[in-house]
Amino acid sequence: MLNEFHKIGKELFNNHLKQWKNAGKKVIGYNCGHVPEEVIASAGMLPYRVRGIGADSTSIADTYFGPVICSYPKCILQLAGEGKYNFLDGMIFSPGCDSIRRLDDCWRKAAEESHGVFPGYRFYLGIPHKVTDYSLEWFISEVRRFIASLSEHFGVTIGDKDLRVSIKEYNKSRTLLKKLDELRFQDNVPISGADATAVIIAANAMPRDAYNAALEKLIAKLKKSGSGLNGKKRLILGGSAHDDSDIVALIESSGVVVVGDTLCFGSRSYVDLIEEDGDPVTAIAKRYLTRNPCPRVFGSYKERLAYMRERVKDTKADAVILQNIRFCDMHGAENSLCERDLEAAGIPCLKIEREYGPMAEEGRIKMRVDAFVENLRA
Amino acid sequence: MRKEYKEYQFDKMVQSIVHFGSLAKDGTDKECFGMFRYAPHFKEVFGTILGTGEPGVKLMKMVDKYLCDVLNASAQGKKVALCTFNFSPAVLKPLGVVPLVVEPLTTLGVMMWLRGMGEYLNYCCELGFTETSCSAQRGAMGAYLAGLGVKPDFVLCNSVGVCDTNATAFNFAAEYLDLPFYQLNALPLFADKRTIDYQHRDFRGLISFVEEQTGKKLDVGLMREVIHEIKKQDDLINEIQDLMQLKPSPVPGTYNVFMYSVKFIYGGYPEGTEVLESMLKHAKQNAAQGRAGTASGKEVARCFSVYVDHYSAQLRPWAWFDSKDISHVGSMMNGFWPDGAPVAKGELAEGIYKLDATNRDTMLDSLCDQMSRMPMVKQIRGPMDDPHQWLLETRGSIRTFKPDFCTYTGTIGCRNTWGAIKVLARDTEKMGLPTLILFGDAFDQRITSWESMRERIDEFLSIRGILK
Repeated sequence: MLNEFHKIGKELFNNHLKQWKNAGKKVIGYNCGHVPEEVIASAGMLPYRVRGIGADSTSIADTYFGPVICSYPKCILQLAGEGKYNFLDGMIFSPGCDSIRRLDDCWRKAAEESHGVFPGYRFYLGIPHKVTDYSLEWFISEVRRFIASLSEHFGVTIGDKDLRVSIKEYNKSRTLLKKLDELRFQDNVPISGADATAVIIAANAMPRDAYNAALEKLIAKLKKSGSGLNGKKRLILGGSAHDDSDIVALIESSGVVVVGDTLCFGSRSYVDLIEEDGDPVTAIAKRYLTRNPCPRVFGSYKERLAYMRERVKDTKADAVILQNIRFCDMHGAENSLCERDLEAAGIPCLKIEREYGPMAEEGRIKMRVDAFVENLRA
Repeated sequence: MRKEYKEYQFDKMVQSIVHFGSLAKDGTDKECFGMFRYAPHFKEVFGTILGTGEPGVKLMKMVDKYLCDVLNASAQGKKVALCTFNFSPAVLKPLGVVPLVVEPLTTLGVMMWLRGMGEYLNYCCELGFTETSCSAQRGAMGAYLAGLGVKPDFVLCNSVGVCDTNATAFNFAAEYLDLPFYQLNALPLFADKRTIDYQHRDFRGLISFVEEQTGKKLDVGLMREVIHEIKKQDDLINEIQDLMQLKPSPVPGTYNVFMYSVKFIYGGYPEGTEVLESMLKHAKQNAAQGRAGTASGKEVARCFSVYVDHYSAQLRPWAWFDSKDISHVGSMMNGFWPDGAPVAKGELAEGIYKLDATNRDTMLDSLCDQMSRMPMVKQIRGPMDDPHQWLLETRGSIRTFKPDFCTYTGTIGCRNTWGAIKVLARDTEKMGLPTLILFGDAFDQRITSWESMRERIDEFLSIRGILK
């Protein structure tokens, strides 16, 4: 069962997507965890968070992006340029950060020059960088604009009833993932961090009903399982976008277990549920704007630090690894503040800058993690 | 940071050098040039600025006055706000607050000392900034994070939504120094009603925040004075930019730097107006004589920078362009978008702001609209080819100022524009404008030397047949 989750995480066009497409249904890509999947799902389409996994060069991306840009959007553009995202019927961009938002400009220019390789539909969803009553009002109207655009382009109707159904379904995933977390919080952890990462990532890449069913089965199986990873040092991961279970496996090869995270691909995507009562658009906008923020919401560091400390407490973690992709100034700078404050509270931290990509800089990361773990054991 | 650096207050050192520089031309030429011996590294910049005559002298005095305002703020019972360069200082005057603008201070430090700002830049990295973050902020910010200058009372940021690395620096400073923080948030849309409403509410939030910090209410009478002063400055800038359209352009290239220096530290203050008046007077004299603004009075080519024009430290590029008889006809930094701006035509006409001093609300909206059009805040907030955004504004500037070529210079921190410059340059090239993309850093001369930049520009001009 876990192998299936790993397979979904490693194959862009996985079997679930193939079946979905064969049934004549559409897949819509999006580039950031602030894009509300429920809106896409309520149109009968499959929301798919694009990733750069499997890119082995950035030759196409470098034609469009400049030199000092994060490798995450570059890998995404590379794969798109190679035609590996040609199963997408549309793409939603949002200003997560400066690198990821320029993916929109580069993507469209590449699309002009590579006929048929890129999807025809594109929408740019604005997201405020602060949480206030007026930013929520603005974002509600932006979500409505998004709904109108999807409806018009694809000739579908997205009603409140459809949105409520999607909200319920996605909330179910979130609730199940929180149950998986509770298992990871146990002293005898029944699942490795690498496996848990694969499970969490699969949520972004397959139909939700199938995902929820598979996840329910997995949780039941893990509950019954007597085996576990007791006695190992427990770590949690924080920082930039991270979607690679192989890196977690690499960390765990130092004899530790990763028991949680504060990542946008990880726990931040499911710890907050959407309210199921009231106006669904307002509820969706509220959750996506006010949920556990990433550092793009400037001035909210203390909230993120509090969340990290809460995760450390819940997971009973011994230490924290804070990673940032090179050129990610927001996470890079904030990781330093976080390291300062966590260490002051007696929580050891390792801060790593890395490139995005399959096992990029494996040796260097392994060496630093080994040294860090050795210190933890000392 | 080396202990020797910690023995001196950074801003006081900068002010004392600027002060004596500003007095240089009060003496005879012999006395002035004699004095340059005591500022060996700064003398080149002194020479370039003071070489422009009265406008340069007035600019030096203006910068001196500004630095004194910063240093004396506390003694005068005023609060100091650590500000991004594109935070219009106009709004702070009626609130009785002195803006401490980081980027100009970094620029001054780089110009003055052979050692540049390296030690302060490194200090930010010691504290936790990434090595790839904005050098313009890391410079002076390093000094303030080390406590080597005036202690700011709070932080005001106008780069959220347009420049992550810039906003991150200010966010970090607020956390590190434990200071209250307020951000004005630029949304990716610009001219639609709901975004304008958002900005107006966000701006009122700023006013309330500052009032809370100072314990004083905004002075409506002073706000009216500021609005009138902005109007004067806008008219002067519009007229200078009108003259810049002439061939040859009678406006010296360095005036571009003077223009935004005024807007960034004394926008809406009479001290800034005086500099602009002097610039216009001199440009008009050139125009009347049919002379270009270059030292020789000739113009062989015109250059427009699609982003910032900080090619390198020391203002050397300006002197070099001048020596090649190349007129520099502006950059993104000179786009302020007041009513009557020469570039605001056709599809760009709606991009302007209007000043309305009727009552408190109209004045607040006017100041907000001005703030939301500060360089970078307006044109790199959304997708490149959206209305009023980077590509369309660049096309408008090219139509208006008729350059023969374009340049782009980005530092290692310019994530937003590096993300799309290759795409933009394809369009400017399609318009027939040779476009040179340069990696350079005017704030950290260890990154690229002016000599290497110069070679690249020179080769580009030669290969593309711009200078024959």
